[in-house]
Amino acid sequence: MTFYETAGVWVAALFTLAIYSFLYRENPLYRLAEHLVVGVSLGYSIVLTWQRILYPRLVQPLAAGQEWLLIIPATLGLLYITRFFPKVAWLSRYPIGFLLGTGMGVSFPLDMQALVLRQIHSTVIPVFTPGTPWDVALGTAVIVLGTLAALIYFFFSKPHKGPFFGLGSRVGIWLIMIGFGATFGFTVMGRISLLIGRVQFLLADWLRVIH
Amino acid sequence: MKRTVPLMLALVGGVIMIIQYFIPHQVSQDVFDYYTSWAPVVSGFALILGVGSITRLHYHKLRAREKNWPFSIAVLVPIYLMPIFAFFVPASLGGGSEFPGFFDFMYTRVQVPIQATMFSMLAFYIASAAFRAFRAKSLLATVLLLAAVIVMLGQVPVGDLLGRWLPDTGQWILRYPNLAAKRAIELGVGFGMLATCLKIIFGVERGWLGGAGR
Amino acid sequence: MSGMNANTWEKMLNIDRRWIFLMIGVVVIVPFFIRMGLPVVPTDEVRSVYSLIDTLEADDAVFVGWDFDPGTEAENQPMGIAVLRHAFSRHVPVFVTAVSPLGQGLAGQGLASVFDTRTPGNFALVRWADWEPFRAAGHAGRDSLEAAWEAAGNALPEGALGWVFEGVDFAHLGYQPLFSLVILGMGSSIAAQYPTDVSGNPVPEMPMLHAHKNLRDVDLAVTLAGSSACMWCVIYGNAKVGLPVAFGVTAVMATDYFPYIQSGQIVGMMGGLRGAAEYEVLETEGGYTQATGNAYRGMDVQSLAHIVIILLVILGNIAFFAGGFHRKTALKARR
Repeated sequence: MTFYETAGVWVAALFTLAIYSFLYRENPLYRLAEHLVVGVSLGYSIVLTWQRILYPRLVQPLAAGQEWLLIIPATLGLLYITRFFPKVAWLSRYPIGFLLGTGMGVSFPLDMQALVLRQIHSTVIPVFTPGTPWDVALGTAVIVLGTLAALIYFFFSKPHKGPFFGLGSRVGIWLIMIGFGATFGFTVMGRISLLIGRVQFLLADWLRVIH
Repeated sequence: MKRTVPLMLALVGGVIMIIQYFIPHQVSQDVFDYYTSWAPVVSGFALILGVGSITRLHYHKLRAREKNWPFSIAVLVPIYLMPIFAFFVPASLGGGSEFPGFFDFMYTRVQVPIQATMFSMLAFYIASAAFRAFRAKSLLATVLLLAAVIVMLGQVPVGDLLGRWLPDTGQWILRYPNLAAKRAIELGVGFGMLATCLKIIFGVERGWLGGAGR
Repeated sequence: MSGMNANTWEKMLNIDRRWIFLMIGVVVIVPFFIRMGLPVVPTDEVRSVYSLIDTLEADDAVFVGWDFDPGTEAENQPMGIAVLRHAFSRHVPVFVTAVSPLGQGLAGQGLASVFDTRTPGNFALVRWADWEPFRAAGHAGRDSLEAAWEAAGNALPEGALGWVFEGVDFAHLGYQPLFSLVILGMGSSIAAQYPTDVSGNPVPEMPMLHAHKNLRDVDLAVTLAGSSACMWCVIYGNAKVGLPVAFGVTAVMATDYFPYIQSGQIVGMMGGLRGAAEYEVLETEGGYTQATGNAYRGMDVQSLAHIVIILLVILGNIAFFAGGFHRKTALKARR
């Protein structure tokens, strides 16, 4: 290990412990780390925004005398800065309006296709075809009827009464609870995994007691 | 000028983009290619807003000597020091370079461990919540907890030791009942997105106009 | 139970939560010293991602997106490393991208760990500038380049699995904002969206860009995400140009995306550390790695932690009902 790496591991371990010290009680070391992370991430983003976007996609082509039209997005982008001057702050709505409107226009047909049509299409499927194992057939029935039931539960324009809306919404809420249960189980799993990652760092990279 | 022009920008921009999707002509493709090269440039400038606001906030804290003002230094110094470091050791920009500099160090040895550790603390809180808050108070809550327990055991190797049925059942729950519930929710989200798109393009939803010099 | 009155149960439920914190701390540390090596059985969701990459070759290409921030590094990074190893072993060219600035740095770290030849089982990196003379001599094809590179006296470091040429085997394209639009733009041209890579090298001149000019020439996009950013590949890549997409997402999000597997919009999914562990197991079974990695090692700990949390839920419920708190309006809470 080079000096750079050793120093890095110690600094990283120090900050890791500083954050965990919060579990015992709030303290200045934790606060320092908490504030540093805001500053460093913004500083990092400034550099990358310049290095990845503004320099190669704007400054370089303009300096090379190509693509003069880039003046238009640059001007639009600069209008963001008017936010800091109350009298002309309304000008910052121009770039927002441009990005928001076009963004929504671009995503509309694709959202429709990917999030709605394909999903509906994949719900209307045959439950049983010869040779299907029973658990898959049962599962497919759950997908077809269960999606409908869960949709009924979210449909509030009709009272949840009667054989269709009443029974449907009751089946729907059961399925939703099973779905939330699965998400909860996975959430526990994910949180523990993140902790495992840090413990692995402390034990293997810093203390070197495990490989 | 203050409201109509930005609303028109959203309307015209949005409609053009929807139309270009349905016309696979070279002209519409050229318009679109211009757009995909322009939009990131516009959005790049938005960072100035974030940096400016944070700077202003912490500058005021410092000047007014507000409670905990020394911590504002810990925010402001790296914001402006990081670009200076990067300027002097540009080779470190790629991350994981052979000759890393201070810029790289601040990211990999300060930023990453702090942020990763902050998120990992949630493990402790979820354990505490498991003990204090997750109650089988009703039939539906019991269903939720049971599904959670089966999935939790099914996802870890120890579940296999208890019996192959456990991971199999867990996987079945994920692939079918969970899928049905999530599909209904995602369809709701999908319809919501479509409605929001149209509302913004046609100026029904104007929340984004707010907060600028009123 | 008669000996325990409601007061005892109340005391138990109101235990200082720092004791629970301490317990979890012990539970995630101890199993690292008692290696159980419990078997991890790969699921179909992960297997389908692995199998697809396992069919790809040097004239194919994949995108791997480091679309997460340091907060979920522990879950997403092992997935990225596993996929990189698999692709590099098969000489499948890899485009590395990131939807956020912080993701670019994590991608750099992921690549660096695969290129660290001090550890056996990694790959030797040849930077773009280092093989410039060979480029000038006309060696652009991978085989002729590698032969010429070794003929020039370059020996593979001991324990390394092979060479990885920057610009031929991978390109670290880095961060771009509005990644949804970047995906759409790449439908026409990848190089137009990324004029330079993260080190400032000219992307349009790279050999892997000659064979893969736009997303239609790409065989798979793996998005490693800790947020819904992974859906951009589905909405803008899959729906628009039919790009095959695979997910490597955090466990918290994984359950939400089963509908997209069933609909065929994504080919498969690695969910959380467990998903990464499964990929590592498949790679070891496939002979790509000698031993499984960090994610698999974490699974023993994960097992014990799940059992402890389930016990906490059960214990909490016993105390709650035995103490009769379900009949009372409120349990006196103390932090």
